[in-house]
Amino acid sequence: MPTTTADTVTAGQTLPALVKEVTQRKIDTYSGVRPRSIHTDEAWAKARGFRAPLAQAMMSTAYVSEMMTRLLGAGFVKGGAISLAFIKPVYAGDRLTVHGIVTDKRAEDGVTRVVVEVWCENQDGDKTALGTASGVLTAPSGSP
Amino acid sequence: MATFPTLTYEGLRVGEQFVSDEHLVTPEDIEAYAFAVDDHHPWFFEDSPFGGPIAHPTLLGNQALFMRHTRYVVRGGLHARMEFQFLEPIRPGLRVRSRGTVVDKYERRGKPYMVTEFTTEAEDGTVLVRGRFVQMLFRD
Repeated sequence: MPTTTADTVTAGQTLPALVKEVTQRKIDTYSGVRPRSIHTDEAWAKARGFRAPLAQAMMSTAYVSEMMTRLLGAGFVKGGAISLAFIKPVYAGDRLTVHGIVTDKRAEDGVTRVVVEVWCENQDGDKTALGTASGVLTAPSGSP
Repeated sequence: MATFPTLTYEGLRVGEQFVSDEHLVTPEDIEAYAFAVDDHHPWFFEDSPFGGPIAHPTLLGNQALFMRHTRYVVRGGLHARMEFQFLEPIRPGLRVRSRGTVVDKYERRGKPYMVTEFTTEAEDGTVLVRGRFVQMLFRD
């Protein structure tokens, strides 16, 4: 469980990267298999001009959520936030790496909010999503 | 009986409101989501600091995203931006519903976009998640 405290998190800190293999089966589970879906119908996706089915962009918010829960525990589950722009498609078969750098640590309504710049890159080094995420520091046990 | 016209940018009205169906959050939902996003944190299956298991904070994003499908046939589009605020943990056993309002629509580089603000609530009215999303609509 996270033991992040106001003393151990610092602006400029790089978070451990997450690597995600985005398989068609995971996309199917996330989105539900439907005809005429760019996520789960390969022929339909190609007819729309995409080289393969696309992962739902929102899957990347889940990856950021995982990174932030590892950092802040309960202080992300209750009190966390994500703001993410999706700038390139993520395709079935892509490998995404999720990055985060702490950019701010500030007092807010009696707690300390930690702000992280986040982005996802595919296997070619192209950014697919970028934005910020934040959460609050809780007791070292992670209790809310 | 509901009718389901195809969603078009021209027909979409700013101020239009959507309400999802109610959904019971089950352990199976959480297990499937854990597989889909490859995140098997023990809090999702065992005890958590909130007392009992919880769900991934983003679990109900699709309930919000699919609200418009309760009124329209949606030919698809691309998700441009997502904002979440996680206010309370999502727990298995909760019955949840999302409500949203179209707060803006605009065209940029010839492509149509819609902006929706939403809340996801438990049946007792507790707001679990608040957010906003921007979607580009396919024209055909």
